[in-house]
Amino acid sequence: MSMNEFDDKTLRERIAKNPQPALAWLAGALVLVVLELGRLASGIVQVGETTRFVLGGIASVPGSVEESVASTLGGIAGLVAFGLTVLVLLGIAAILVKWLLIPWTLVDRLGIEASTGVKDIVERVIVTGLLVVAAALVVLTPVGGVLEMAVSALTRGVEWVGSLPTITSRELIPNEGYQQPDGSWEGTFLGLSPAVAWALRVAVVYAYALVWLAWLWRGYETFREHYREADWTPRDDSINRFRNHYWGMFGLIVVIMFLVMALWAPAVSPATAEANLYQPYEHEFEYYGDDGVETISHGDANFDSRSQGSHTYVSVMSYDDYDRFHPFGTNTDGKDLFTFLAYGAQVSLVIGLLATVLMAVIATALALITAYYKGVADLVTIVASDSIISLPRFLLVLLLSVLFMQANHPVAEIYDGGLLLALIFAGTGWPLLWRAVRGPALQVSEQEWIDAAKSYGQSPAATMRKHMAPYIAGYMLIYASLSLGGVIIGVAALSFLGFGVQAPTPEWGRAVYEGRSHIDSPSWHIATLPGILVVLLVTGFNALGDGIRDAIDPQSEASDGAAGASGGGG
Amino acid sequence: MSQNAIEANATETEPQAGSSQDKDVMVKVRDLRTYYEGNGLFGGTPVKAVDGVTFDIKRGETLGLVGESGCGKSTLGRTLIQLESATGGEIRFDGTDITTLSGAELKKWRRNAQMVFQDPDSSLNDRMTIGEIVREPLDVHDWKTPRERRQHVKELLDTVGLQREHYYRYPHQFSGGQRQRIGIARTLTLEPEFIVLDEPVSALDVSVQAEVINLLEDLQEEFGLTYLFIAHDLSVVRHICDRVAVMYLGNIMEIGPTEELFTDPANPYTHSLLSAIPEPDPSAHKDRITLHGTPPSPRFPPDGCPFSTRCPARIRPPEYEDLDNDLWVQLDTLREVLRERDRAEKSVTDRIRELLGKEPRFGTIEGIYGELFDKHDVPADVQEILDETADLAREEGEIAALDRLGEEFGSVCEGYGPESDGESEDADEPVAPEYYTVSPSGRRSLCHRHNPSTNHAEPDQVLDERH
Repeated sequence: MSMNEFDDKTLRERIAKNPQPALAWLAGALVLVVLELGRLASGIVQVGETTRFVLGGIASVPGSVEESVASTLGGIAGLVAFGLTVLVLLGIAAILVKWLLIPWTLVDRLGIEASTGVKDIVERVIVTGLLVVAAALVVLTPVGGVLEMAVSALTRGVEWVGSLPTITSRELIPNEGYQQPDGSWEGTFLGLSPAVAWALRVAVVYAYALVWLAWLWRGYETFREHYREADWTPRDDSINRFRNHYWGMFGLIVVIMFLVMALWAPAVSPATAEANLYQPYEHEFEYYGDDGVETISHGDANFDSRSQGSHTYVSVMSYDDYDRFHPFGTNTDGKDLFTFLAYGAQVSLVIGLLATVLMAVIATALALITAYYKGVADLVTIVASDSIISLPRFLLVLLLSVLFMQANHPVAEIYDGGLLLALIFAGTGWPLLWRAVRGPALQVSEQEWIDAAKSYGQSPAATMRKHMAPYIAGYMLIYASLSLGGVIIGVAALSFLGFGVQAPTPEWGRAVYEGRSHIDSPSWHIATLPGILVVLLVTGFNALGDGIRDAIDPQSEASDGAAGASGGGG
Repeated sequence: MSQNAIEANATETEPQAGSSQDKDVMVKVRDLRTYYEGNGLFGGTPVKAVDGVTFDIKRGETLGLVGESGCGKSTLGRTLIQLESATGGEIRFDGTDITTLSGAELKKWRRNAQMVFQDPDSSLNDRMTIGEIVREPLDVHDWKTPRERRQHVKELLDTVGLQREHYYRYPHQFSGGQRQRIGIARTLTLEPEFIVLDEPVSALDVSVQAEVINLLEDLQEEFGLTYLFIAHDLSVVRHICDRVAVMYLGNIMEIGPTEELFTDPANPYTHSLLSAIPEPDPSAHKDRITLHGTPPSPRFPPDGCPFSTRCPARIRPPEYEDLDNDLWVQLDTLREVLRERDRAEKSVTDRIRELLGKEPRFGTIEGIYGELFDKHDVPADVQEILDETADLAREEGEIAALDRLGEEFGSVCEGYGPESDGESEDADEPVAPEYYTVSPSGRRSLCHRHNPSTNHAEPDQVLDERH
């Protein structure tokens, strides 16, 4: 037996040895990035703005604490509170910074002798100290101004990049124009009809997304073929299992379709959200009327394209009086339903995913902790979750959302109440998820490998992560995907009742609400299409959860074949 | 059977007190107790899983630990490697009392002591590859570089008789014996000196058992390991162990060199245990000692000697010495029934019915008496006491009845001080048995019968007479 079946080299060394396939893949990826550079840059700008907003909010915390303390206890107490709050915030930041950015231990570098527990604390104190110095520099010295200038210059640069044309942009394949008396189209892409131009743009968007996916897959295959240490790893089996899992593949396709729809909402909509949904009276367009080419605002045009029962309606796949194409028809107030749904997909997905992820994280963490420590930790969690479960959930959600919105709480303003809804759903939903995985978690905690881990000194946190969490993950995926559907339906229901995401921000539930009385008329599409989309999306997430669960469980192997321990390989 | 007891050095609490032997001693356990607290929030009576155990383990030896299920042997093993925290007593590991360690020191010490678990299906995390499983202890202790760790793990897989390619496999692709080898490889990664083997072969096929046992013996020789071998398979213990400790209800009943203990047991419990080994020769005649009833609950161990409720060689009061053996069995059963009734309240009569092998959902005292004594010739004086007992049971409850029976039929074994010895009547304190050294090799046994200051017969004589 040779000593070196697997040469122990790092990925970097392996790529340096044979760079050609990696470079080829990278070149392709670059081309793809360049095609959509503009959109990417605007996305980055958006993320940057959000980050700035969040950081600004956090930075204002010490000030507000100081204010409230100073108003009751006096100025000096306020200053002390200010300092303490700053320290606490920087301490939390220090944990993140240490975890994300500093892979080595400063304590060892500095040669400080202490026991392990003390070392961790000393380490955090040092990082906090460094952060305090950095924060003081930014706030008190001209360094802050310089930093500010650098950031704004960077932002301007990225914004300029964001203005570059992209392959999926509306300007490249415009679908808004008017028909001249001779039947030809003016203003659309290559003189095609708006319907065809719109379909073309949607096709380009999905094609681009699919090419990206294919290219990523190719990248994985390149890695597997040229650079991976082992010829075979268990992940290969997981992927093969998933590829043959048709229900899971169906879910994946549905979820990808929705993700693409949400991410490229501005590109797949026949009209822009600004013009069609938010400020219809401030955006005008041209149409060919009785007196030739005329100009009208979207708002005025919408008035004539309303779908209200059988008297006036613009149905699926049809044009309105102003030559605007509506693939899903129009709303009760004449706005384009497809645009509404595409932007609504963003809202639903963001709220749904945020709430579900928060819920799942809370439930998993609690399940691990209660199963590992049992006893009092378990009891306290049981009491807390039972208290929450015993309240009617939907009423609680309704109450909280009304309360926060009426009070104009700052949280309620972020994302038009979306963040608030996500937090409320997560806060009321985790007990159900925790209940669902508590049993499996307790079962795993009784396994001998937990004892084994303890016997060689593995820390409780790592034991939970490595030896317990994978066994809960399968259950969690299923239950989380189920409750994702629940959250989406819940948000829709809230909007349906008029309390969820407020108009004009599009939300699927509100479309169902608005269209419910026209369901038996030619305007049936207003309620039906969003309803079908909700069903599809929820089913898709459930199917994807099923597929992933089966794929990551090595024992679910349907074709128990040659992979016995006696076989070769490796 | 030879008379072996050397009763001169009686009442020794420190085994092998000679300081010259201390150098060999690796683990010193003194009066170790591990109690499990009650489930309720407010405690309750603890389960005394290990209740005052004292012994030494010498460097490089294999100490066997045998006993019935539930006698506390696994708990003792788990306490030795600090998977359970001790309630009292101390465990000295090369001089350090490990029951006082915590945090980083405990983690550091854990490298020295590892454990092989009983169930290979449950001791390996199915979601990790063999390589990850075996490497994890190294990762935890930050052993050298990742590359060296991988190399080391592959060598270890080789050592325990697996192939290096198995590094990337999953546990479910292996058989029970192979999985146990993986578990053994994991315990070896940190190069410990002391390994607790908790029934390492009892979940395996017989053919595989031999392979794993041989592997363990080879590894002991190669790495100079010290084993604590927990088992209930006595033939395996006899094969692999240098010394054996016999456990019953949280106590060590007898401890000594394996061959000596197997050929010439001193303690009545060891006698009964050994008599349960099946003989491969069907024509061989063997006197099996049948123990009556079940072991008492470790939550409520009996006063005096832990084995007193079932001991076939229990010391009987001299005034009843001539009572029929069968009648004694019935009297013991009566006491056990009363104890069960006292403890079970009205709810669990099943066990009583089981004891009687009979129908009554809730046996009355008359019913029990009829069941136990109808077929026996009960002498008048005994009958008198039984009647008194029945009255007490009806009027004042089981405890009073048990006290009466104990006063009359109990002996030093059940904690009743010898009546002749007037001064030691410390009314409430039951007399506990002591260890007596019963052979020149330092074998110790927990039984009043070895006490040289009284003239009780040795257990083997009594057993010969009674069975």
